[in-house]
Amino acid sequence: MFRAAVCILIITTVTSCRKELPQINQPERYISGNFSEAFEAYWNGMNNNYIFWDIDPTNWDDVYKKYKPLFAQMNINDSTDVRKSYTYFKEMTSQLVDSHYALQINSKYVKDSATYISPSGIRHSKQPGYHGNINPNFFYSTIPPKYLDPGYVKGVLNFSDGSQFFAVAGKIKNNILYLHFNSFRLKTVYGSPTPNNAQKTLKYYFDQLQNTAGLKGIIMDVRSNGGGALADLDLLVGALTDKSYSIGATRSKGGMGRLDYTPWIDARVHPAKDAKAFTAPIVVLADLNSVSMAEMTTMALKALPAGNTTFVGERTWGGNGPLVGNDDFYNGGQFKTDFMSLVYTSTLMMRYKDGKIYEGLGFPPDVEVKYNKAALDAGIDPQLEKAISLIPQ
Amino acid sequence: MKKKCLLFVLCIIAGTLTSHAQWSLGLEAGYNKNYLFTNSGFRAFTGYKPEEGFNIGIPVKYTLNDWFGVQADPQFIRKSNRIERSGFFEGVYQKNTNSYIQLPLMAHFTFGGHKLKGFFNLGGYAGYWTASHIKGTQLDVFGQPNVVPDDFQSKRYLDYIPGYNYDEQYNFDSRRDRRIELGVLAGTGVSYQLKPRYELFAEGRYYRALTDQQKNYMLSQIPRYNDTFVIQVGCMYRLGK
Repeated sequence: MFRAAVCILIITTVTSCRKELPQINQPERYISGNFSEAFEAYWNGMNNNYIFWDIDPTNWDDVYKKYKPLFAQMNINDSTDVRKSYTYFKEMTSQLVDSHYALQINSKYVKDSATYISPSGIRHSKQPGYHGNINPNFFYSTIPPKYLDPGYVKGVLNFSDGSQFFAVAGKIKNNILYLHFNSFRLKTVYGSPTPNNAQKTLKYYFDQLQNTAGLKGIIMDVRSNGGGALADLDLLVGALTDKSYSIGATRSKGGMGRLDYTPWIDARVHPAKDAKAFTAPIVVLADLNSVSMAEMTTMALKALPAGNTTFVGERTWGGNGPLVGNDDFYNGGQFKTDFMSLVYTSTLMMRYKDGKIYEGLGFPPDVEVKYNKAALDAGIDPQLEKAISLIPQ
Repeated sequence: MKKKCLLFVLCIIAGTLTSHAQWSLGLEAGYNKNYLFTNSGFRAFTGYKPEEGFNIGIPVKYTLNDWFGVQADPQFIRKSNRIERSGFFEGVYQKNTNSYIQLPLMAHFTFGGHKLKGFFNLGGYAGYWTASHIKGTQLDVFGQPNVVPDDFQSKRYLDYIPGYNYDEQYNFDSRRDRRIELGVLAGTGVSYQLKPRYELFAEGRYYRALTDQQKNYMLSQIPRYNDTFVIQVGCMYRLGK
């Protein structure tokens, strides 16, 4: 009898004490027949795919507790409620640290009011000293004749998606190599099968880098550069080093949990073919609109083994988590729901070699030179002038 | 009724204490396979797999009569698992080697002959997750792509960009990792009286964790429980007269 009692006790305990495994569905699979489903799909997608929960100030559980009942009261087919949902989504995402983050709501009722919700963009535009991008014409038409020696090269390339790439390269005082480009599509442009002036500009830069004896320095200008392809890093920065080196590390999701991560994985720059170590001073120019690959490039230049880079300008935007379009690759990152045509978010978290994560903070300059609208309007570039002054003749 | 049952049991145990009570001390070692009771949610091409481990312990038994005793096995045990990707992501994995210091406490029931006996154990255990080691390969977004022909086709992403290999100590995250593990166990085996004081035994045992490896730190959390199947052998030495 005693043995039987013990057995029954154990079996009862064993079968009843574990929590049930929840069924968590892929956000894309929800049918947004009502707002409860639409919210659930989005909240779950964020709960499991967002990479920055480790450092994000948003309490995502509180978001669920607060907004789940609110969405349950709304009608997804009512235009007023749909617009109200836009406000709710804006509120709940307002403190998300991911600077790439953007929500696109798939409804005809909100298309007129805004195309997407960008929490970082809203915060960015409210920061003290905020300014918009430096006018592309300043780089393309003002800088070359004023600061570059005769013989500079520049070119524009229009892409089929409507975007435009341009680059300007030349020399200053005959021994400082200058390069500016507006986005990171360097590999695509450089390898373009159709010759064009933008390609010619990049070729000029790389030819001069490799073949000019006695270069006193390089000025790499990524101001107001919105980023682009990560593959450009080895092409651009890899041309300045003869050995692979670390700029920091990245990590991705390692499971469904908010704090499930892979270990930190070394983020390295690899030398380009036939590259030599460039040991003369390098000045990188960046501003508060330099984001993503523009920031990563700034970090990579700062991390060069020769330690010969100075960063001049303003603290960068602070969005340097790499992105991959398909969330299956790294088990996290951007996703869609029936109600959201895109939840655009970083796939990986990045930390710089000093151990700090600059997401949402921005990478700080060594020499701060603030944006000066009056000077730019007068055709003067104080940031570039400071960069030139830092390269000894 | 409950009180009467309890009193009855205590009387039986108390009645046997004087004539049969004896202590035994021993050494045991075993091989185990640990399964993680969890799921990978909506993660595509991703699954948890069991891993092998071992355990070593010092069993202490207090025999109350010829069929019943109480046993404790302070032990070191590895309860490992592996998260593995499949399909195009084949080759990406992480092996988690988890070390525990564990104290199983069980009722030991004996039956059978004089020298060769059968037994089964029922009880619970408390463990402390002392360390974890991670080894694996992950996709490397900064990796240098392999040079492959334009028409190259592969079944694995890692053929295009080599993965990042690592083999390192895991740093616990106090917000997530629950390092105390409680659970129940059941085992059965045979023992052989080699000499009057020496007894050899072999046992199959199952440890079922009842505590999640993670603290309750988020809503819609998928729990993770260890299920450990052990085969072990050992030797007991009877103390006293």
